Amino acid sequence: MDGYIIGTIIKAVLVLAIISALAGFGTYIERKVLAFMQRRLGPMHVGPYGLLQILADGIKLFTKEDFIPSGANRLIFMIAPAITAMTAFIALAAVPLLPEFTLFGVTVRPIIADINVGILFVLGMMAAGLYGPLLAGLAQNNKWGLLGAARTAVQFLSYEVVTGLSILAPIMIVGSLSLIDFNNYQAGGIGEWLIWKQPLAFVLFLIAGFAETNRTPFDLLEHEAEVVSGYATEYSGMRWGMFFIGEYANMITIGFLASLIFLGGFNPWGFIPGGLAIILKVSFFFFLMLWVRASWPHIRPDQLMWLCWKVLMPLAVINVTLTGLVMMF
Amino acid sequence: MSLEQFKNRNVGTQEYRMLDLEPTPETGWGRFKRVVRRSVKLELFTGLKVTFREMIKALFMGEMHTTKYPFEKLPIAPRYRAIHEMKRLLESGHYRCIGCGLCEKICISDCIRMDTRYDENQRKEVSEYTINFGRCIFCGYCAEVCPELAIVHGGRYENASEQRASYALFEDMLTPLDQLAQQKEYPGFGAVSPDADEKIKKTPLAY
Amino acid sequence: MSKNEITITIDGVECRTTEGEYILNAARANGIFIPAICYLTRCSPTLACRICLVEADGKRVYSCNAKAKEGMEIVTQTEEILEERRAIMEVYDVNHPLQCGVCDQHGECELQNYTLELGVDSQHYAIADTLRETKNWSTVLHYDAGLCIVCERCVTVCKDMIGDSALKTGPRGGGPLDKGYKETMPKDAYAMWNKLQKSIIVPSNGTEHTNCSDCGECTAVCPVGALTERDFVYKANPWELKEIPATCAHCSSGCHLYYETRFSSIDNPEEMIFRVKNEWNFQSLCGAGRFGYDYENRNVSKDEVAFAQAVAALQKAETIRFSSMISNEEALMLQRLKEEKGIRLVNPEVRPFQRFLTAYAKSSGRSLYGSDYREIMEESDFVVSIGAALRNDNPNARYAFNNVQKMNKGAGLYFHPVGDTLVPTFGKSVECITHKPGQEETALYLVLDLFADKEALPDYLREYLEGFHETRKKTVKEKVMKEVTEIVKDEETGEEKEVKKKVPEMVEKEVEYDHNLLVEALGADPVAFAESFEKMMKKKESFALILGEDLYGHPHWENLAKLAALAEKHCGMKLAMIPPKSNALGVALICDLDEEAEGYTVGYNQPGDFRLSALGDGDLDMPAMNQQEGTMTTMNKRVVPTNAALEYGGYTLNDLMNALGLGKRLTVDWTMELPVDRGFQAEAFDDLKDGFLNDGTEIRGYALTPIRGRASTAKAKPASDEAVLEGTIAYRCNPQRQFNDFTDKAHQIFEAFALYASPEKAEELGEKVEVIFEEGSLTLDVVADERMNGEIVAVPDFKASADVYRLFGESRYANVTLKKV
Ligand code: SF4
Ligand code: SF4
Ligand code: SF4
Ligand code: SF4
Ligand code: SF4
Ligand code: FES
Repeated sequence: MDGYIIGTIIKAVLVLAIISALAGFGTYIERKVLAFMQRRLGPMHVGPYGLLQILADGIKLFTKEDFIPSGANRLIFMIAPAITAMTAFIALAAVPLLPEFTLFGVTVRPIIADINVGILFVLGMMAAGLYGPLLAGLAQNNKWGLLGAARTAVQFLSYEVVTGLSILAPIMIVGSLSLIDFNNYQAGGIGEWLIWKQPLAFVLFLIAGFAETNRTPFDLLEHEAEVVSGYATEYSGMRWGMFFIGEYANMITIGFLASLIFLGGFNPWGFIPGGLAIILKVSFFFFLMLWVRASWPHIRPDQLMWLCWKVLMPLAVINVTLTGLVMMF
Repeated sequence: MSLEQFKNRNVGTQEYRMLDLEPTPETGWGRFKRVVRRSVKLELFTGLKVTFREMIKALFMGEMHTTKYPFEKLPIAPRYRAIHEMKRLLESGHYRCIGCGLCEKICISDCIRMDTRYDENQRKEVSEYTINFGRCIFCGYCAEVCPELAIVHGGRYENASEQRASYALFEDMLTPLDQLAQQKEYPGFGAVSPDADEKIKKTPLAY
Repeated sequence: MSKNEITITIDGVECRTTEGEYILNAARANGIFIPAICYLTRCSPTLACRICLVEADGKRVYSCNAKAKEGMEIVTQTEEILEERRAIMEVYDVNHPLQCGVCDQHGECELQNYTLELGVDSQHYAIADTLRETKNWSTVLHYDAGLCIVCERCVTVCKDMIGDSALKTGPRGGGPLDKGYKETMPKDAYAMWNKLQKSIIVPSNGTEHTNCSDCGECTAVCPVGALTERDFVYKANPWELKEIPATCAHCSSGCHLYYETRFSSIDNPEEMIFRVKNEWNFQSLCGAGRFGYDYENRNVSKDEVAFAQAVAALQKAETIRFSSMISNEEALMLQRLKEEKGIRLVNPEVRPFQRFLTAYAKSSGRSLYGSDYREIMEESDFVVSIGAALRNDNPNARYAFNNVQKMNKGAGLYFHPVGDTLVPTFGKSVECITHKPGQEETALYLVLDLFADKEALPDYLREYLEGFHETRKKTVKEKVMKEVTEIVKDEETGEEKEVKKKVPEMVEKEVEYDHNLLVEALGADPVAFAESFEKMMKKKESFALILGEDLYGHPHWENLAKLAALAEKHCGMKLAMIPPKSNALGVALICDLDEEAEGYTVGYNQPGDFRLSALGDGDLDMPAMNQQEGTMTTMNKRVVPTNAALEYGGYTLNDLMNALGLGKRLTVDWTMELPVDRGFQAEAFDDLKDGFLNDGTEIRGYALTPIRGRASTAKAKPASDEAVLEGTIAYRCNPQRQFNDFTDKAHQIFEAFALYASPEKAEELGEKVEVIFEEGSLTLDVVADERMNGEIVAVPDFKASADVYRLFGESRYANVTLKKV
């Protein structure tokens, strides 16, 4: 039991450290990819190929003055970013990141808590993440912040429905809420991947994922051209940094979820071992998000709602119904 | 160049080209159809294709746009108006400025000042000349008005300074004597037009 | 001069003007532009430029020289005239150096202006250039012959206005014009060119130097950059300078001028006066006004300790001694101090004048002399000056005297003990009578005798004057025609014939004549005087009398004032006085002066126990007149505004008044309070106008209103010889461009504080002398003044610290002993 606790703590710390580092690295990748797509160079001057830019940004974020606007609700203002970051990392607790492996004779399962309602837990945690921007926007005594908060509520709540409904069908097929089971269900190679059985669910999930992570084309919460910086308007320094890390952690989480649920998880992929396979898949989703950001304009709030309630939700319901019918007969 | 096209202020008759956009659907059904059509045609992916193509070009075909500015500089146009230079006479190396004060007069930001005096050779000597670049707006009027082609714009455009006022003295702007041979005429504002010779009427000379 | 109003038509516009006015002036007065280069208002037409050509009733005339006649139809532009004018401008541009860029006239150059105005865009004429050199004619004059267009304005102004006649045209040494031009060119342009090609300007004394009054008026009138002030050459471009209209504070003329200021240099952003300009068509300056401008009290800040001391000093002061270089407002403040605190006001410069003026007012029934110098210049044709060293005392009185000779074909009588070689050159009909100091009464009686309407004179006077006339016999040579009979032999025929012929023969003859003992008493030859006076009086209609400072301090000032009033009344003369120093008239009208200083004395620009000084050497700094706004009272009896040309950072007299609880917010708030019962008006400073109208009307400030009272009928005393001085005599008199410590401070005024004497006397005296007065002595260098004549030496009073007034006492003349050192 002690070993379990220690192992879990070690895993938690590792996940926290690695994912935070990856989030930082993600910013670098994002800048580079966006730059290349615009035929620019991106960061170049700090370190080789601008790699140390992450470090420089980190230093900058840590050393910047952390101010709280007058008239803000200090307590809420201060904890709101932490909510975003925390929920993002807690969500990762139930996600199996890699296949099992053996290190120094100890079998390591790279999942912090294999709970049998893994998916629900992850979705629930991500949904709870909505409190971060919402409270931040409400607490800062700034009209842009308020608008950002309103948009947060609308956008996150709405797309939560789509996310849930879209993976209901795969869940019905697999018959479990554990992500490990999902992985195992698809162990039979590419042909077994759920994406073939549930293509529509995959697309819906992806779209909803973009919305939940607040990425273009659904980055309404802090869209500079409209609401200055939305819920983050009054934030500076590391507090703002926590929103950022949360967002990147969420992006990674969504990447993992999509890979695990639809793309065969960490099962070996031909000659590619499972660990590498899932990293490649997550990387692809991450890249896709950047790619989309470079290519597409963002949409209006009303279009967002229209898309959610009038297109995606009905499609998801239809999908669930059809899946149910197919399974019945 | 004819100015016809600029003088035609009747917007309606100009050559605008309409994009062949389909009309926006009015009904929900119409809109649904459009979504389906677009989704099926994967229009969105055209956008993704474009950016991806650009990335490939940039990374592998050497079509990166970036100039690494402080290390690389693009050539500026010869008529660009940056920090002033004061020219010298090519033969004697004497400064060209005669202290007429026209530049001082015309300067709209009132940033030129000069001190002149009567020198030993009965000439007007420009004993000091300054421009306050903190105020200069680089309008080029001084270069245009100068009868001696003495003050012109140079190519130095990096003007960051610790203070708002930044005075350049005569010495700073004059062509250094050892670089007299490299001194170039400025083709911009105030330069002699290429056909100046044909335009001038000659004054009769009695000897 | 006739003053008949007439109507003429210029370019279809009806214009009112006076008969005999030049067409050009009439047009200008009516706001119609006729180009003109060589003409100067108030001077005689030179006809050098010929550009003022117009058509009057179909004939071509030069508008600066043609007089307007009733009903004249004038056209200022015809095809032909324009062609002529253009040709003239082209000729002016021939060989004119292309150096506008460095030229000091650049931007206000009439050659530039007219070249543009007449659309000269190409040149059709040419001639080989001649080398013309740049010269410095004096310490202040810089002549660049290369730029000179020989308009002769400098020559004209120097002759007709200033009176020095120091310039003339000289040979240029240019070659003859190409013969072909005569046929092809418009004829006026050709004639002008012909003359231009032959001349440049040179000093008229044949040397390289002008040796003149150094007034600089020639530099002001020069339309181009040829004649400039030496100090200003290439120093600044005219357009950078800010023009500040002001009133010159050096002498009582109170001339209108502009201080031209700019930042000092790149290193020093402080404003500085670069030069002085004037409206030379209507106002001529002297050397002190033009060059004595940089007397400001520089770098003064508010010194609170000194201020507190000054307030304490004023609290305990019993006397304030001040110079007259103050504004009316300041004078009023001092007067208020007197009224409120019983402080005595002492001003040795003004006190005698004030007494004299009061005495004159009592006798004449008018608080102010009846005329002014502007009027004299315009209307008089006979001027008499008594008791003024015209050349030194007041430039404008001198210009008026000279101008009358030149412009009004006038005559002049100059009574003064100190011989002057310049005054006689003002005109052919100028008679100088060098009498003994103290004989001014006799001179005034002579004026009465010569000009008064004898019938109207009070009996006692008529009788008194008649006493000076004796009928004497004199031998005159007369030409008589005598008939002679001659025998002429015809050469061919050999016949002899008697021919009667008339031949002139001189015979001596005794005639009776009127011998004037007054003339004799004044040291002139009555016979010769009578002859020339007869000539002088020909065709004279308007007489003027100028009285100077000698009279005010004369022991018999009261009687002199009486005689002046009588002369004004009975001779129909325009009377004008010369107030002795800057704002003497203002001070005399505003302050009740006391005779003697007593007890603790505060000196304002004067010696004292505590010194307020605008010279920067006192216990508390005061602003100099070019740093103050306020009003001055001119000798033309006008109250004129002046403005601050330069900043002043210290305390003013008004601040002191405020500390004493008597002040106002601003110094100029006092302007409203100038005493109306003494002729001032209750006008606010900001409502005062400044400048001249196109026709020369002065609109500066307002004219003083003379206060009328009952004329006293007390009898004048007979002339007495008590006051006559004999022996070695010193005269209190400044060199030409010095008036006070402030002119002395100016860097372009070099005249030294020295003893001035005629060249012969100076030689006799050697280099340095001690001048011993009764009250003390002064050791002075001796400077020869070429324009002085006779034995009397001049001791200047412009340095307040030398306290020359104490040495001389009230009179301007004193018996002294001159000891070589
Ligand atoms: S560029 Fe324009 S603003 Fe600058 S110095 Fe010249 S005239 Fe003045
Ligand atoms: S305009 Fe030219 S010649 Fe004249 S002062 Fe300026 S720089 Fe010198
Ligand atoms: S005098 Fe007048 S025209 Fe001649 S150089 Fe000077 S400014 Fe130019
Ligand atoms: S110096 Fe000047 S005023 Fe005199 S003649 Fe020449 S241009 Fe005329
Ligand atoms: S300075 Fe005065 S006195 Fe001398 S030449 Fe000029 S106008 Fe004549
Ligand atoms: S102004 Fe009349 S001739 Fe010159």
